[in-house]
Amino acid sequence: MIKLENVSFAYAAAGPTVENLSFHVEKGEFVALLGANGAGKTTTVKLIDGLIKPTKGRVLVNGEDTAKTRVSRRARQVGFLFQNPDRQICKNTVREEIAFGLRAARGDLGEDGIKNRVEETLAAFHFTGEEEPFSLSRGQRQRVALASVLAVEPQILILDEPTTGLDYSECCHIMDTISRMNRDGQVTVVMVCHDMEVVLDYAQRALVMAGGRLLGDGPVGKIFRDRELMERASVLPPQITGLAMRLGEGFENADTAEELAAVVMRRREGRRKQA
Amino acid sequence: MIDIQALTFTYKDETAPALENITLSVPEGGFLGIIGPAGAGKTTLARAIGGIVPHHYPGDYYGSVKVDGLDTIDNRLTDLSRIVGTVFQDVDSQIISSVVEDELLYGMENFGIPHDEIPRRMEFALKQVGIESLRERTIASLSGGQRQKVAIASVIALRPKVLVLDEPTGELDPASSRQIFTLLKTLNEEYGITVVIIEQKIMLLCEFARQLMVLDHGRIFVKGDTREVLSHAEELEALGVNCPRVAYLSRLLEKETRETLPVCVSIEEAEAMVRGLMK
Repeated sequence: MIKLENVSFAYAAAGPTVENLSFHVEKGEFVALLGANGAGKTTTVKLIDGLIKPTKGRVLVNGEDTAKTRVSRRARQVGFLFQNPDRQICKNTVREEIAFGLRAARGDLGEDGIKNRVEETLAAFHFTGEEEPFSLSRGQRQRVALASVLAVEPQILILDEPTTGLDYSECCHIMDTISRMNRDGQVTVVMVCHDMEVVLDYAQRALVMAGGRLLGDGPVGKIFRDRELMERASVLPPQITGLAMRLGEGFENADTAEELAAVVMRRREGRRKQA
Repeated sequence: MIDIQALTFTYKDETAPALENITLSVPEGGFLGIIGPAGAGKTTLARAIGGIVPHHYPGDYYGSVKVDGLDTIDNRLTDLSRIVGTVFQDVDSQIISSVVEDELLYGMENFGIPHDEIPRRMEFALKQVGIESLRERTIASLSGGQRQKVAIASVIALRPKVLVLDEPTGELDPASSRQIFTLLKTLNEEYGITVVIIEQKIMLLCEFARQLMVLDHGRIFVKGDTREVLSHAEELEALGVNCPRVAYLSRLLEKETRETLPVCVSIEEAEAMVRGLMK
């Protein structure tokens, strides 16, 4: 679905931001991009979205080279949820905001089709449509932005730190919505995220970046347990995984409190029987 | 150091109070963490401690806020700012210079810090925040996270008695966020600076803050020693405030083992607890 082939990109002013990047993402995956500030994560997702074009190499989305794809076509394929919802919201009501994105990307639906899709989306996100985005909380505005992006039914959804500035319940609400659509096979997700608990809970695969290069690629639980890789990328594993690593043998698969507690209880049972 | 008595505040042109009947006392050298859902009044409280509410943001104000014995209503912001240093959530509203070094100099010169002392403080602040290499960079060329660090450094250079930070790690990655908290711990323990921090990163907050206060709809939902507050985990989760997963683990193991266990706030503590249970 997404293919990067030896991609490099440099902004005009500074040195290369990503260098010789190659990876594939298959349909239906939920992939997290990990790394410190400045590792090249946002540049990578912008390349996938075609917001920027590689200076070397190729980015293919559904087999099409992003350097040659028209913006309107790309907007149907790839939805982009920015870190800050205020960068994408531009209308005065939630209904207008959702309709705006649809008119731009889904002219094929016709005006009636767009109207129906707007109402379906409003219902799915529990909006009346009359809300004014800028009088909503940041978490609510992020939901407005997400609703507009998903209304287009993109095949790929890109999330750039979607939970920044949100409180815990807002964060769960956004991520659960995305996760449900991903599991239903509706959308492939590529997420940049600094919250490793969120990565653990929602992503299946992690790509680790540092200094514009790809350092590691694998299942989330396995990547978190690669001490050397985590150190090179300045990433700390989530709490329970970090604890399990310290506890060592027997805890290799414990990533949640429940899993870890189960190992502890089995050990205690074993000790009791021995005694 | 901070003494708030029955503070109720409603912004001008608003009907509902942003803060309602807040009474709070933070001792000198305290380290208080504040958390709560969006719209709980956290930022308003940060503004009230620095006197920015009501001096900059007028409204209906009842009760009193004293910092280092000064009532914020009766004192000018210029005097209050010598005691309370605030790092705002929106750092861009705080930074005025175009070069990092100038930003730090601006504050120190305004405060009349002796010229022979300025270089030492400059180096201290840049080094503590880990941005020595950015000293001559223009603000415009910095990332959001780097700008956050500049804002923190320029406040630290002024050595306030009280440091108030409103989600200072919002744009920072986990390693930098931990670095900021470690820095606050140093300033708190070695220099006796009183720290008040609003933060959504619950794990860091619980590990570093000695006291926690949870706000909801402008009111105090619960406050106390960090571990004591975490013992209300279920009510907090219903409110939309999560607990660190190691704290959740202690509760879970307590139920399963039927032993009384401590509420863990860090991986180190959890490791000791688990090893103890498996002996």
